Amino acid sequence: MNLRPIRILAALALAVGLGAWATAQTLIIAQGTDAVSLDPHDVTDSPSATVTSHLYETLFELTPDGEIVPHLVESYEASEGGLVYTFTLREGVTFHDGTPLTADVVKGSMDRFLDPDNAFTFRFLLDRVDEIEVVDDRTFRFHMASTFAPLLAHLTHSTTAIVLPSQVEAAGEDFGEQPVGTGPFQFTSWDRGEQIDLARYDGYWGEHAQVDGVRFLAVPENTTRMAMAESGSAHVAVRVPPQDIDRLNQLSFLNVENVSSVRTIYIYFNHSLELFQDARVRQAINYAVDKEEIAEFITGGAVRPSDAAISPGVFGYTPVGTYEYDPERARELLAEAGYPDGISTTLYSPTGRYLQDIQIAEAIQSQLAAAGIVAEIETLEWASYLELTSRPAAENDVPMALLGWGTVTGDADYGLFALFHTSEHVPDGSNRAFYSNPEVDALLDEARTNTDPDAREALYEEALQIIHEDAPWLFLHSETQLVAVNENVSGLVIHPTERVLAHSASLD
Amino acid sequence: MFQYFLRRALVAVPAVLGVIVIVFAMVRLAPGDPAILLAGEFADQQTVERIRVRFGLDRPMPEQFALFVGNLAQGDLGRSTRTNRLVINDIRERFPNTLELAFAAIVVAFAIGIPAGVISALKRNTWADAAVTFFALLGVSMPVFWFGLLAILYFSVQLGWFPVSGRGTFGHLILPAITLGVSSTAIIARMTRSAMLEVLDQDFVRTARAKGLQGRLIVVKHALRNALIPVVTIGGLEFGNLMAGAVLTETVFNWPGIGRLLVDSILARDYPVVQASVLVIALTFIVVNLLVDLVYGAIDPRIRYD
Repeated sequence: MNLRPIRILAALALAVGLGAWATAQTLIIAQGTDAVSLDPHDVTDSPSATVTSHLYETLFELTPDGEIVPHLVESYEASEGGLVYTFTLREGVTFHDGTPLTADVVKGSMDRFLDPDNAFTFRFLLDRVDEIEVVDDRTFRFHMASTFAPLLAHLTHSTTAIVLPSQVEAAGEDFGEQPVGTGPFQFTSWDRGEQIDLARYDGYWGEHAQVDGVRFLAVPENTTRMAMAESGSAHVAVRVPPQDIDRLNQLSFLNVENVSSVRTIYIYFNHSLELFQDARVRQAINYAVDKEEIAEFITGGAVRPSDAAISPGVFGYTPVGTYEYDPERARELLAEAGYPDGISTTLYSPTGRYLQDIQIAEAIQSQLAAAGIVAEIETLEWASYLELTSRPAAENDVPMALLGWGTVTGDADYGLFALFHTSEHVPDGSNRAFYSNPEVDALLDEARTNTDPDAREALYEEALQIIHEDAPWLFLHSETQLVAVNENVSGLVIHPTERVLAHSASLD
Repeated sequence: MFQYFLRRALVAVPAVLGVIVIVFAMVRLAPGDPAILLAGEFADQQTVERIRVRFGLDRPMPEQFALFVGNLAQGDLGRSTRTNRLVINDIRERFPNTLELAFAAIVVAFAIGIPAGVISALKRNTWADAAVTFFALLGVSMPVFWFGLLAILYFSVQLGWFPVSGRGTFGHLILPAITLGVSSTAIIARMTRSAMLEVLDQDFVRTARAKGLQGRLIVVKHALRNALIPVVTIGGLEFGNLMAGAVLTETVFNWPGIGRLLVDSILARDYPVVQASVLVIALTFIVVNLLVDLVYGAIDPRIRYD
């Protein structure tokens, strides 16, 4: 028997099969962890927000350049004094099940987000909104409890995305795994701990996605994730370990993209402890640490030393200065403050939460030692860490702790109010330093209610200046996102809010 | 035999109850507040309180325990506090994956470990014996994640023989199964070697030889069969260890098993998922041990169960 025709047929079948495979273009993105939930209102982590950003959309959008532009709304108008906002929805927007986007849907979605019983973490973003009024199919109004200048910025946050109330109802408790949004991609499947598949939504109102689908892989182990990029089994791999940058860049088909993030890394001083009530001690520690050296040697140049409490790219950011490395000055300040023989304290640091976190803490420890400051390092896993640092002042004996804060709304209010305002001391807010300065409070309050952008910028500059001088933190750096991208990918957006967006990505 | 089975099953009940109590207490004794963790570093006190109420974490401990046991008795494992997903769905998806991986690993371990051990015993004090001993030592000493990563870098990235990670085809299973099975292979090889050496010295082997039986028949039918009892015991224990210890392999190879689920849920203080995962792993241990006991009878007819 002659087997040749069969072989040729088989080869043909294979070729056709491969051809069909090649035309269905799926962009594969390897993330560090699996999404937790695909209910945008309930999302608090970047990997989940990355996926929901492809499925759901917000009323406004923060462009990668930090500009706030209308997205699901076409136009809006704020009343004099900023107490009423009138929005007009874009026409022709439909959910993945075909339901059109109407003002009623927006109200239903917002009401769900704001319902205190739902206990959504980011509810506070919009808690100044008193009531949502539906005017007609395409028009609705936000009635504000008080003037709130960062409103539009907060409406760009991926957690405020518009969900479909009828779907919320239909899916019940399982809404987090049955997403139906208005985004350029629709949900296909989710194998927990493994992968999430999305397919292009052909009824999308805007420019259609170029790829047929996106697959998000959950690959927690760094080396494995990088191996996926190296072997071509993923087009994109996030969170490249700094020590791998050079090696990956040497591969002809991979580029390690370096995109700044709005996340600021800092070490706060607990002002409820006597030691840190003296500004000279706090400044001394700032002088004793060489931020440039840490950026260069511990993170491989993957971070940017801070010159303000918020990062560039955030509205309201102005560089207000740095504490140049000067261990002598540190010793002098400590002596002036009454500690000629130095001080000893404890530095808390998480492990693996932020880029090179514990390594950074160890570098700081040795630099501090050179200035006569003995800092013992205490590291805890994240759950315990968060609990210890969230205790009220009377029970809180964490003297210094390393943390990060992403100003993901792109507006300084989000990055400053919760961290520095007196009303935000933990556990009521996120001011873990128990920092309190009436001047800063007044400036932040004013910047919240003043609707003139220029005036707000000036207010934030002043606040940042005072915060710099008060030194409630050891200012460290802004993080950078290191993402390995295959050369056949173009149009991928690595957003400063730590999301990789495939909306306009294509594969060669 | 049925009676024996029943007796063993009854003995398992207090063990399971013990596991339930210990797990329930341990996750709650660990520092870290699940409500604060869920709310994240951004949340205010009110949100934390509301989350606590939403998941019943504000109720007194005995009430929480009663609720947990009551629901468990009805087969209700509750919902994950982290993902709000039915825990039973998580277990149903993840458990078979780990079972598959552990089973493949134990097959690797027996398939390589037993022949290696037999050869090592038969060629005692030769280079073959030394080689087996060397690799066995290497096998138990190598950290799993290190071996796994090297295997990925060499076989998947450089040679491109296997997929880098994930689950799906038979090809996906090979590297993780070998990685997970390496240390068990080493242990089984060592165990087989010493059991064989003991048996080969015994009178019935000499008798078999004296009868004029062929070498291979003696080894397989007479010696190995008698040497297998301790090997099977160890194998059973190893299987339990593989189930519980697969987490590193699962992480390195991105294998969506119960080990990773357990670690993720411990880090997230996801009480319902931690409780259910530990319970399932404990049950597996108990069942495997029972099966091992039953296998004894098949290997050695002298063992009776009454």
